[in-house]
Amino acid sequence: MSQELIYLTPQWRDEAERRLKESLTPEKMNFITSSMSNIYLNCPGGGSKFLFFKFVDGKLDSLQVGEGEPPEAEFKITGDYETFAKISRAELGSQKALMTGKLKLKGSMVRALKLAAIADRLNKVLSEIPAKY
Amino acid sequence: MTSRLENKGPFFIDFPARIKAIQEEMAKEKIDVYLGSRLRTLSWTLDAFCPWRSFVVIPAEGMPAAFTFVIDAARIADESWIDEDHVFGFVPMGGQDQIELISDYIRDILKNRKGRVGIESGMSNYLPEGNLTHYEYERFKEALPDVDFVNSYTIIDKLSMIKDEGTINRFREASRIVDVGHKAVYEAIQKGGWKGMTETEIAGLAAYAMRKEGSEWEWSYTGGNEIACGYRTGLAGGACTPATRKKLQAGEPLMVDIHAMFMLGLGDHSHNYLIAPVSDRQLWHAQNFLDIVNLTLKTYKAGVTPSSLAEEMMAFAEERGFADYMVPGFEHGIGMMGDEWRIGINDGPFPFWTNPDHIYQENELIICAIQYACPDENIGFRYENPIVIQKNGCEPLSKYPLTVDEIE
Repeated sequence: MSQELIYLTPQWRDEAERRLKESLTPEKMNFITSSMSNIYLNCPGGGSKFLFFKFVDGKLDSLQVGEGEPPEAEFKITGDYETFAKISRAELGSQKALMTGKLKLKGSMVRALKLAAIADRLNKVLSEIPAKY
Repeated sequence: MTSRLENKGPFFIDFPARIKAIQEEMAKEKIDVYLGSRLRTLSWTLDAFCPWRSFVVIPAEGMPAAFTFVIDAARIADESWIDEDHVFGFVPMGGQDQIELISDYIRDILKNRKGRVGIESGMSNYLPEGNLTHYEYERFKEALPDVDFVNSYTIIDKLSMIKDEGTINRFREASRIVDVGHKAVYEAIQKGGWKGMTETEIAGLAAYAMRKEGSEWEWSYTGGNEIACGYRTGLAGGACTPATRKKLQAGEPLMVDIHAMFMLGLGDHSHNYLIAPVSDRQLWHAQNFLDIVNLTLKTYKAGVTPSSLAEEMMAFAEERGFADYMVPGFEHGIGMMGDEWRIGINDGPFPFWTNPDHIYQENELIICAIQYACPDENIGFRYENPIVIQKNGCEPLSKYPLTVDEIE
């Protein structure tokens, strides 16, 4: 597909789910069971949004986009919408965003380190979705 | 190092009970969360060696959580009795630096209400003590503006003073290992084996022998195994001799003070030698030293105090004519790794120093430490041995024969 989708809209979510299920097999996801909420502050038009992922035994179990309080997750990453957008456009590395305090991670760093490569795989798939921010 | 899998049998320590005891004291002092940062507190609560800046957060109920530099967090989770979900690694990342990570954790415990957090503040001669720094304190205050911080280290100090059987057994095993190290040193230096050897070489061969027996490291922050030969044995008031490249010489004394660690229990024993030819004057000094060590060991028991013991020993030394060579102190504190400073709790006339009137109780564990030094004659001896205070005496944990060995 070449049509650009608006980031974090239901259409973008559907495309993200399709691509994640297609690209990330349970093997590639190391059969993990984990969950993560990205909290987007200062979204265009104001307010905040969330993007919630849940994997069970390496399979994408839930992918939600919404406003307000996200579901409970093992990891919570909070930052400005623009920071996430820059990461998605490959203008900023997620590691650098964390190390400069542009993103804040809540959750066990020990567990996060084990999942860092998996998160990179996931982000790569999402960054390939043609999107408008 | 320590592994929860090993934490059975004679070396078992009931860590959940320790945490419960801390929580009971916290309740009495109306403390909602205890934020421990001292190495002694970390060892005593986590049963893991924490060499990097680390913290333990103890809630009013339930499991404690450990926080350390992320590179060591997985090991601590592996070795501690607490589970992986309660060990956190901090890194310089948003939300993951030590102040924010710990503040968030405390905020969650307090459920965003006001509360009292116990901290560990004070001073020590012991470099790795680990009191909360002024900077850390200021940052935590900023991060938790509704929290009252209260100095609460006495909770741990009181609870850890009398040793349980598992702790004492770990010290017994560390002392057994130290004795193996002493035997290895003796075998290496006897019959001329000392010729050409340096202090560092002796430190290393003792370390190798002890490691083979299961010692985790030569734990002392004073340079691991402390070895002194010649004039270095008699440095005035000296009781700290990290090994140097100094070579052993005929006609000189040699002091071997070695350290082993077993499951955070610490071995610390010194043995002394005279390298032939030995003069009558050297033998006189050696006999003085042996006599005062023997008398000190006979005197230690529940009910005596550091000052009463010192007065008695110094009177003996004066009567025998060697008081000028004695350091008038006969002990230092000891506990699980990180607790190597004062005796008892902080209740003496000088803050954070041993209270000279501390009354020893049964099952206190201390290092009987005696330093004999005659700088003018380039000779000195050291005695250190962990002892368990008993009702009518004491149990020296190192069983290595008390002698000053003459070696050819």
